[in-house]
Amino acid sequence: MARLVVLGGGVSGHTAATFAAKWLGSAHEVVVVTPNAKWNWIPSNIWVGVGQMSKEEVTFDLAPVYAKAGITYKQAKALSLNPEGNATSNKPFVTVEFTAAGKEGTTENIEYDYIINATGPKLNFGATPGLGEGSNLGEHTVSVCTADHAVHASHELEKCIQKMKKGERQKFLIGTGHGMCTCQGAAFEYIFNIEHELNRAGVRDMADIKWISNESFLGDFGVGGLHMKTMGYAVSSKIFAESLFTERGVDWIIGAHVNKVESGKAHYELLDGTMGEEEFNFSMLIPPFAGVGLKAFDKAGEDITATVFAPNGFMKVDANYAAGAYENWKASDWPKTYQNPTYSNMFACGIAFAPPHPISKPMSSPNGTPINPTPPRTGMPSGIIGKAVAHSICDRILKGENAPLHEASMANMGAACVASAGKGLFNGTAAAMTIYPVVPDFEKYPGTGRDTDYTFGEIGLAGHWIKHILHHLFIWKAKLKAGWTLIPE
Amino acid sequence: MILEIKKYPTPPSVQYATDVRVFDQNIFSLIDNMEETINANNLDGLAAFQVGSYYNIILIKNEDGTFIELLNPRLISTNGKITTTEKTAYFPNLSAAVQRHDKISIVYQDRSGAQHSLQADGALSVLLQRKIDYTFGSTFLPKLSKDEKARFEKKLEFGADVAISEVCPTTFKRDYLTKLSNILTIIIAAIFVVSLFVSEVEMLSSLWKTQLYFSYGVLATNIIYFFYAQYEGKSYSSCTSCQIGNIVGTTVISLTKLTLVMILSYFFVNPF
Repeated sequence: MARLVVLGGGVSGHTAATFAAKWLGSAHEVVVVTPNAKWNWIPSNIWVGVGQMSKEEVTFDLAPVYAKAGITYKQAKALSLNPEGNATSNKPFVTVEFTAAGKEGTTENIEYDYIINATGPKLNFGATPGLGEGSNLGEHTVSVCTADHAVHASHELEKCIQKMKKGERQKFLIGTGHGMCTCQGAAFEYIFNIEHELNRAGVRDMADIKWISNESFLGDFGVGGLHMKTMGYAVSSKIFAESLFTERGVDWIIGAHVNKVESGKAHYELLDGTMGEEEFNFSMLIPPFAGVGLKAFDKAGEDITATVFAPNGFMKVDANYAAGAYENWKASDWPKTYQNPTYSNMFACGIAFAPPHPISKPMSSPNGTPINPTPPRTGMPSGIIGKAVAHSICDRILKGENAPLHEASMANMGAACVASAGKGLFNGTAAAMTIYPVVPDFEKYPGTGRDTDYTFGEIGLAGHWIKHILHHLFIWKAKLKAGWTLIPE
Repeated sequence: MILEIKKYPTPPSVQYATDVRVFDQNIFSLIDNMEETINANNLDGLAAFQVGSYYNIILIKNEDGTFIELLNPRLISTNGKITTTEKTAYFPNLSAAVQRHDKISIVYQDRSGAQHSLQADGALSVLLQRKIDYTFGSTFLPKLSKDEKARFEKKLEFGADVAISEVCPTTFKRDYLTKLSNILTIIIAAIFVVSLFVSEVEMLSSLWKTQLYFSYGVLATNIIYFFYAQYEGKSYSSCTSCQIGNIVGTTVISLTKLTLVMILSYFFVNPF
């Protein structure tokens, strides 16, 4: 009997674990290690953050789902990896610390034959002074990164709405809280959902809403922007985004590295080297991401973290980390199998793998501060990668160690994104976009590096309906209800 | 080499621009050719996009004849608003009032790839913003206000920058009369439906009379509409003669609906 351990139960880890359990059957064991008791459909946190959904609607208990799937579930966080075993055993193992009530702090070594690192990111609030401490959100801003954060954000938003109803003008600052953030899309959704809710509450005229981000142009979204082919024209996401911001009366600051947050004030540095500050009454600033801080040790107990993980804490996989300058970047730099180059039974997927370089153009201020989005790994690519990795491991377990690995390069993968701009059955809006490939391939598609025939976008009510249907569809799939395998990632 | 500048109606955004990644002789030759093109056409600036290249390059001609070469420019910060009348080589002989940022700060790279920043205001600011729009595949059209866009599209139709004080609107006051006529006709039809459930002769008689009164109202509304609509159409010099066709058509449709519902009512509602 082989044992596959999956670290993390987010979109990528949950997809990998559930498919692996289905393909391996009861002859082999799948273990999921995740510190959370609940699964969270993170894209819908946006709606929790504006009070349009409850926490219960975007989460569910993992234990019964894993029990149904025959997966061993350990509510714990991974601390370290010993890919060569230790002095007493050659069997690789992962050390975990339990987080479940009654077992907090106790540790266990879980041996494995294969391991998938799908821990997701550490929300690195501590990277920006005032934004938070370590992975904990600070007191000056709100976040929608977790369901609990989103509930807190909706309460703060409601307080602002009450103040505006009493005639007190409020300033909203939404965007990225550091020069090296990703997830601009989530902030984009949140700012327009707030704008929509303020309209609904009848206080829009009392609000000044401003966007702040590390993108070098509006509509970069961490993928270097895109050209959406619609009605025969290729419209840049910059023009699309600027039109939307102008139409909704939302001002913007771009090319910004937020370097300090105080009560009611954010300080930032721009790409042209100038410094500025922006006051706010309500602010949601996405933190930068980092690896969760997993350590790795060899058989002798020596620290080999730098061998297994990149400096940012994400796991090294089959990517070209020596691509160098922007002009040398190629689609082929991006990983295909997500296998660790040192230990062939270790894989990483979702946000946990170390990308070879950003997708957006690297930029820095004259002061040397890097200010550019880091590559996003949204739900669709994360799910596809998780499934491909699970497929590879299952093949190796069932067909032998030489079974070929499955590939899922983001340079050969398209992605669909539906970004909400307001929730409502009849007045909701969402921008539906597809992009192919996610990572531009300048050799295959000279120019933008993308195939504009498969890159298009549209904004409207239908987009909102799709977003809402997807919410129910993906929670259905994650709960492993009837027909879950038929629902695409 | 002087390059051909793409002009309307070649769609500008079917092509698109992308950042310069490799700073090599191809790029330098393109920049040199763009300089020649600017001089030959007496332009104040040019985006590579305008000459059919997808590279994100802008050239601005200084008063002393030298050039500012901006590769991969990004508009980083803005301040204030300004509305000026702009012309661009893409729309020869045409102009439009465009609202822009008054003061801007941009970052860009030079031929060697080194990054610089530039602050601009007034005419240079407007010129840079227009050229940066090109590098993202757009003319100034999406920047125009609704009214100005309608005016500019009229200018495009005429092919010249003629003074057009107003445009033919898409909605008129006469539309209210059409709406009134439709509402009255719907009421007549509703009475017809109600009459199907009524058998008392006295009641049917009063329903038929009501329908008759309403039908006179529809008739009168259409007569007023027919004459007022023509008067209103003439007050817009840019409205074309096809307006009369619309007016006649609308009147005929309205009266046909009235006739149909009244014929049905005559046989089913009228008790006499």
